[in-house]
Amino acid sequence: MLLRILKNSFLKRPKSVFLVFLSIAMGASVATAFLGIAGEISHKMALELRSYGANILLEPSAVEGGGFLREEDLPKIKTVFWKYNITGFAPYLYGVADFAAGGRKERGVVSGTWFTKQLEVPGEDISIQGIKGIAPWWDVSGNWPDGPDEAIIGAALAKRLGVNTGSDVETSVRGRNQRFRVVGVVTTGGFEEEQLFAPLVTVQTLLLKPGKVSRVQVSALTVPMDDFGKKDPAKMTKDEYEKWYCTAYVTSVAKNVEEVMAGSRAKPIWQIASAEGSLLKKLNSVMLLLTVLALVASATAVSTSLMASMAERSPEIALMKAIGADRFQISAIFVGETLIISVAGGIIGYLLGDQLAQIISRTVFNSAIVSPLWLFPTAIISALVVAIAGSVTPLRRALLIEPVTVLKG
Amino acid sequence: MSENIIETSGLTRNYGDICALKPLELKVPEGEWLSVMGHSGSGKSTFMNLVGGLDRPSAGSLKVGGEDLLALTEDGLARFRRKFVGIIFQQHHMVPYLTAVENVMLAQYFHSVPDEAEARSALERVGLGHRLKNRPGELSGGEQQRVCIARAIINSPKLLLGDEPTGNLDHKSTVMIMELLKELRAEERFTVIMVTHNQEVAAWGDRTIYLDDGVLVREERMGEKQ
Amino acid sequence: MAIILKTIPHLLAWSVIVLVSFRGFTGRRSVVTLSSISGLIIGVSGSCILFRSFPGAIPFGIIKSILGLSFLLLWGVSVASGYSNAVRGEAFCRSKQFFQSSICAGTVTGIISMVAGAVSVCALPVTGISALSMVFLALSSALIAYFIVYAVRFIEKRLPESFMVSPLGMVVSVVSLLLFSSSSILRLDLFSPLSMKVMKGIHDFVHQFMESILIPDHLFVRPIVWKYIGFLFGNGVGFWGAMVIWFAPVFLIITAFLSERLPSVAHIRQGAQRRTLLAAAVTLRRCRLVMPLLSILIFAAAAYQSSYPSVEYWDPKPLAVTASQAGEIFIPKKGEINLEDGKLHKYLFKKGDKEARFFVLKGPAGQLTVDLDACAICKPDGYGQTEGTVICYYCKTLIPLETVGKPGGCNPVPVQFTEKADGVIIDAITLINSWGATVQATARVKEGGK
Repeated sequence: MLLRILKNSFLKRPKSVFLVFLSIAMGASVATAFLGIAGEISHKMALELRSYGANILLEPSAVEGGGFLREEDLPKIKTVFWKYNITGFAPYLYGVADFAAGGRKERGVVSGTWFTKQLEVPGEDISIQGIKGIAPWWDVSGNWPDGPDEAIIGAALAKRLGVNTGSDVETSVRGRNQRFRVVGVVTTGGFEEEQLFAPLVTVQTLLLKPGKVSRVQVSALTVPMDDFGKKDPAKMTKDEYEKWYCTAYVTSVAKNVEEVMAGSRAKPIWQIASAEGSLLKKLNSVMLLLTVLALVASATAVSTSLMASMAERSPEIALMKAIGADRFQISAIFVGETLIISVAGGIIGYLLGDQLAQIISRTVFNSAIVSPLWLFPTAIISALVVAIAGSVTPLRRALLIEPVTVLKG
Repeated sequence: MSENIIETSGLTRNYGDICALKPLELKVPEGEWLSVMGHSGSGKSTFMNLVGGLDRPSAGSLKVGGEDLLALTEDGLARFRRKFVGIIFQQHHMVPYLTAVENVMLAQYFHSVPDEAEARSALERVGLGHRLKNRPGELSGGEQQRVCIARAIINSPKLLLGDEPTGNLDHKSTVMIMELLKELRAEERFTVIMVTHNQEVAAWGDRTIYLDDGVLVREERMGEKQ
Repeated sequence: MAIILKTIPHLLAWSVIVLVSFRGFTGRRSVVTLSSISGLIIGVSGSCILFRSFPGAIPFGIIKSILGLSFLLLWGVSVASGYSNAVRGEAFCRSKQFFQSSICAGTVTGIISMVAGAVSVCALPVTGISALSMVFLALSSALIAYFIVYAVRFIEKRLPESFMVSPLGMVVSVVSLLLFSSSSILRLDLFSPLSMKVMKGIHDFVHQFMESILIPDHLFVRPIVWKYIGFLFGNGVGFWGAMVIWFAPVFLIITAFLSERLPSVAHIRQGAQRRTLLAAAVTLRRCRLVMPLLSILIFAAAAYQSSYPSVEYWDPKPLAVTASQAGEIFIPKKGEINLEDGKLHKYLFKKGDKEARFFVLKGPAGQLTVDLDACAICKPDGYGQTEGTVICYYCKTLIPLETVGKPGGCNPVPVQFTEKADGVIIDAITLINSWGATVQATARVKEGGK
């Protein structure tokens, strides 16, 4: 009988049912979409944020290694546990040099590095490593160097020397000379503008440091630091250590890289790592807040439309009471009605929200996302929560209806 | 003489400062057809609501079928209504989205379990065998009122209350409804309390009481008038 | 203190059993009270005596078989109820009177409480219990039983009248509660062995009866069929098979309740009266369904507890060790770690990018053994130690300490070593090779995930 009442009520009052259904579906779809991209967004934002520079710096540890790292260790970075999280790295070898061009002489830093080096590691895909990958914000007018005697020059140094693309720069370090052809001028807004960047091999020869590098910048995808990530790994239990090791904290990735580079010490570049972390955290809480707001809004909408329909139906409720319905029976009818609407709304909302997430992802991040399976129960539960939260007041109002006053006519 | 189905003493109902029903002493024997007459605002509807367990008295005692209505909770009153009372209103109230037979089944559902065959035969009894699947919008006033009668008697109540059941009907329908009630009463032997301001309708009863301003002013038996 | 806390879930389960008995045997309050209390005391002290007079495994075996019997009983009752309902509804009517008699009430509650008491004792470290602490245990159980039964009586009086327990509902809820109680004790757990048995049974069946069609390229066996056969050999088959056996009785009983015929009301003329009777029958049926439905939850909780046991394992963090110039790993007997304390001691040896995890353990027979922290079958999730056994984390198999050091099955793979007066010496190359050979097939590939 209950089902019969509900069926007829749905069929004969489509407009008010549809209103409630709509607000629940809206709430559920917004919740689905937001939660669906929230997980994805931190991943995508992390990728985007990676364009702001490396977040791990590898330096020679003071004790061993003689102040330099070995170039031959570099490919191992692509073989570590977190290799897929390391988006790129670039080695540097620094030396102070005298530059001469067009009669002017200036002292500055010559820096040997990889620009776009093809790196072949056995068992791994071929990858391109170097500055171009990890410092996409470098603004190079001209080209990236190709040959061993080509270089790019920092804008400030170029100004002092009065050189431009196509000029030659004579570089001398302790009596040894090397002529570089400037193929590009780089603007970075940082200390790099005072340097001349040349291929690593050439600079190693120039500085008489074959096979050595001074430091390596590593750019890795990491998860934001939380309290657990900040714990000292040395004091962790076995399980905790394993969990820490298996979480892409910047510290654990750094530790991982450090292990393969002989004589190195990896330092997370904290300003970037922590800024990233707090940004992502904020982003996530904004998403969560928006979701909650959307749910509250749709609960309010449900409440309002149910309120309106209760007012419209009050004669009917009064009549049911008059012919002997107790509070439980009245509630069963109206709660059952909202529950059915909300389950339907949850399913539709999930489907809509999934599409919405796809659209958002496509327009904002230009990529498709796969919505996780747990979103479905989440959508249904949020629909139920919205429905229950929204129907408390109307139901209480309905139970307070006095048949005498309503049925008087 | 059979037992009294309704016994009131000092029954009072105030709405704020307004006293709708002044202390009322009344006994209604089981099986009687009692007509309650008065102008609008005389307290006759208030009296009916109190007896039907739809409203609570402000003071006094009210016993219906041996049940002390003042002692019952809200849900207790609901249970009392579904078991003991059948009510017919002036504006033949029906649930608009349910068919005639479903409206009758609704009363069964609240009472115990629905039984469609029984509901159908109840409608046939009131002469609506051909209108089972129609919704209230498709029924005439008289037909709707007959559905309400079927619904009121479906749970075999001891007490049938009518609040101007014929107030909106023309003379022909009124007579049909009253005839029907009389027939059903003869079969089911329930007590009838009929609130009306129509002398003609009141004349169907065994006894008529007149209320004015919440006070019982006059009482007459059918036989006395002639 | 922690030991006392361990018994709380069992006592809770027992108090619900007592509550159910009160409602099941209505009007036999004093009998139920008496037999519940005395049953628990007898169960507690009886199992204590068992543990004192037999070595650990036997009392556990006895109690486990009693639990198994109760589950079989539930199966029998559920099948019988379904049958009698389908054939004729009067089968139980005659036994109903016997069921409500005080003799039956007393015996049944007594036996149930005895089992519950025995199970609760198993949660305590009772192997080789002293006579004094046995007496103490019996006395405290009497006190607790008295307290709980009266608390339950207090609660029971305040429960609504409509909460009532039919004999069937009582059987199903009592068995589910007993199994719930026992599922948290590793050695009494029925669900895990059940799933193992099911898996083995199906494997044997497939092997013995389908041998002929298991030949590849058989005419009738298409690739798609192989998929299904593959499922029969998977880990899942044991679990799902056990789930079916586990839950079937409850569902049988629920179906029996649902298919019970409503009272015949055709002879009652008045519709309202007829419907009142029907409504009462429907409500009664719904009330009686409460206990079986709750039992589903309890059975599920028991299966969950068995699949994810909350037992604390002794599982030390592996200690890194290095090899000497000669390629030998030396582990001292004394020092920071006492090798001969009967506990598992884990070590991690790294050589280049290869590593091996192993443990040293002194068995109950007094001999030291060195084993890989992995077996030949499972993923190398390692082992943890509980009382008298080690457990393979991956397949949850319990391996008695006595057999650790022997090869085969899910036993940890033994490693050759030489025992000296002050320590054990393991050959590094052998260790690495042994780990490599064992783990290669089963290892999870270390990958950088997200």
